[in-house]
Amino acid sequence: MRVHVEFLGLSRLVTEKKEIALDVEKGTTFRGIVRMLGTTYPELIGNVIQPDGETLQAPNVFNLGARRMIQAGQMDNGLSDGDRIILMSMSAGG
Amino acid sequence: MYGYSGKILHIDLSKRRTRTESKPEEWYKIYIGGCSMAARLCWESIEVGCDPLSPGNPICVANGLFAGTPVPVGGKYGLASKSPLTDFLGDSLSGSWFSIALKRAGWDGIVIHGASEDWVHVFVDDDRVEFRDASHLLGLGTYQTEEAIREELGDDQVRSATIGPAGENLVRMANVTNDGRQAGRTGHGAVWGSKKLKALSVRGTNGVSVADPETLLKLSYDIVDAAQGPHTQKYRILGTVSNVLNMNRIGLLPTRNYQQGVFEHAELISGEYMHEHHRVKTIACAQCPIACEQMSRVIEGPYAGSMTGIEYESLYAVSSNCGIGDMNAAIKMIDICDRGGQDTMSTGVTISWAMETFEKGVFTKEDFKCAKYPEGFEPYFGDGEAGVTLAEMIRDREGIGNLLAQGTKRASAQVDAERGTETWKWAMNIKGLETPGYDARALKTFALGLAAGTRGGCHNRSAAYDPDIKGEVDRFSVDETRGELAKSTEEYAAVYDTLPLCKFIRRCFTGKADRAGAWPVIAQLINATTGWDFDYDAVDLIGERAHTIKKALNIREGWTRADDHLPYRWQHEPLKEGASAGHVVTEEELEYLKNIYYKAKGWTDEGLIPREKLIALGMDDVAEEIGV
Repeated sequence: MRVHVEFLGLSRLVTEKKEIALDVEKGTTFRGIVRMLGTTYPELIGNVIQPDGETLQAPNVFNLGARRMIQAGQMDNGLSDGDRIILMSMSAGG
Repeated sequence: MYGYSGKILHIDLSKRRTRTESKPEEWYKIYIGGCSMAARLCWESIEVGCDPLSPGNPICVANGLFAGTPVPVGGKYGLASKSPLTDFLGDSLSGSWFSIALKRAGWDGIVIHGASEDWVHVFVDDDRVEFRDASHLLGLGTYQTEEAIREELGDDQVRSATIGPAGENLVRMANVTNDGRQAGRTGHGAVWGSKKLKALSVRGTNGVSVADPETLLKLSYDIVDAAQGPHTQKYRILGTVSNVLNMNRIGLLPTRNYQQGVFEHAELISGEYMHEHHRVKTIACAQCPIACEQMSRVIEGPYAGSMTGIEYESLYAVSSNCGIGDMNAAIKMIDICDRGGQDTMSTGVTISWAMETFEKGVFTKEDFKCAKYPEGFEPYFGDGEAGVTLAEMIRDREGIGNLLAQGTKRASAQVDAERGTETWKWAMNIKGLETPGYDARALKTFALGLAAGTRGGCHNRSAAYDPDIKGEVDRFSVDETRGELAKSTEEYAAVYDTLPLCKFIRRCFTGKADRAGAWPVIAQLINATTGWDFDYDAVDLIGERAHTIKKALNIREGWTRADDHLPYRWQHEPLKEGASAGHVVTEEELEYLKNIYYKAKGWTDEGLIPREKLIALGMDDVAEEIGV
């Protein structure tokens, strides 16, 4: 199946990509996407992904379909074909 | 007493006299500093029911507990007066060298009473106060005024808080500026202008005593170390402007006066675009190891050379919210505001109201005559030059700028009274303060936080966007948890605004930004500075007390439950596209949210504060006046 990952903020600066499409196996989880991103873009590790390669570094988060932020306890949830994940860094201010 | 001098300086501009007031240590333990202490000084000094632009409205400066110490991001002070935008308490924070100079001069706070007959610059030189003629400074911008004072006094260590032409012209959204930072939002600059106070300068040459320097240094170094790491990376590299694309993607980027939540040109006004095309360097406030301010410059075109620090809240207001997808015009508008000394957010939202009012046919080209365009101009959404011109006209109160200088609440009321229209329906303010860069129609906890906020439409005093945006609750719906959440998040923010510490440091204590992660370390910082014995609960109480004194002042100024409102648009006009389409905060939802919020606060159904509650917080004299 295919999922799309959009990069906003720091992850876009690091990857120099706005969006990528990933062909993944059925049952792939959000954590699995983190692992794939860390492998494809090792420079994300330490900047956006924690050194363990499996966890996003706060305040970076996944948002599913622009409607739902993925919580730490949901990182092992499975994805569906066509899902659109946004990797963003949220915090207010200014 | 460690960490404090125990002295408040009172300056009477009418009589040109000063006096020193000593405060007991117990008073400091309740009000601490920053916004809370400034609000308390205002409570003690204001002429109840006064016009905000009259001599009875005091200027209250309250320094930060950690100003001048090694504690990172603690170089901040609070400023309070009755707001000429809201007619309730206006409390603001600003950072950097001014607060450090004030601490070294030996003053915990300054209260300025009365009004001067002639333009004046007050120079506090340690314990000596000088009233200096300021007539030659009139018309100078904020940065220029600071430089002129340093040159005049022959000392580059003199630090000044100043107003620009906007404050001189009593523009109700005028700011006070020091060291390139603004005490913004609620119109302090107009209050200063009404007193003919062009600048307050300070030279401090004393040391700062703390109770346990060794522990304070150790704690501070650890925080500085953490502040160089991933917890602040977003702020250091892109700054807050990275929120443009975030908010656009989730359908909440205010666009064309909040008519839309998605802006088709968002990429062109994004932090990522600014980083690549306009960023010159990143700078920091004094005492700050983060350095978040993205100094950005216009390289070419009619606004070439304009340069200032750009933050998200400024940027959304003057760009997407005015339909402007031109970063050059956006930087120019923010530069005009910063130099002129006027609030970028209120300026942008007021301009967007004017653009919509024009597009709906209430205003015509004739209404926009000015020296630059004698035949008038047509301010359609998206017209960057119109935005630039209107920002200048507001600053100078030129033509229609005289109307817009009052902010959206007063301007719409005047137009509607004169022309029989209903422009108030798209006047985006809460209690008269223009709304921030998060469309609250689909952030329902935040909607409550904004409606109930003592300051009006402010994202800094209510942190209730956090649970909504982070997905800790369903942002599209309302449930019984939101009252407690709004209370909890506003009091959390109030702790930072009272010490004050910049909130960008919040993950650097232990890696976790919540109370459990931050309060124990903050207690240690307080104790090492003062010698007190604060613990988690005592730190938590700082926020409740701070919020309570502000609310109490509002009640005394005539606040009622009906004042906790939302803009009409957020309650009756759903967004039509994007990820947040279809939502409003209904009348029923808002009233329910207010009910559960007042209950969570321990207030009455009408939002008033019981006497016993105030007494339990150590505010017996406040209980006497407004307790029920």
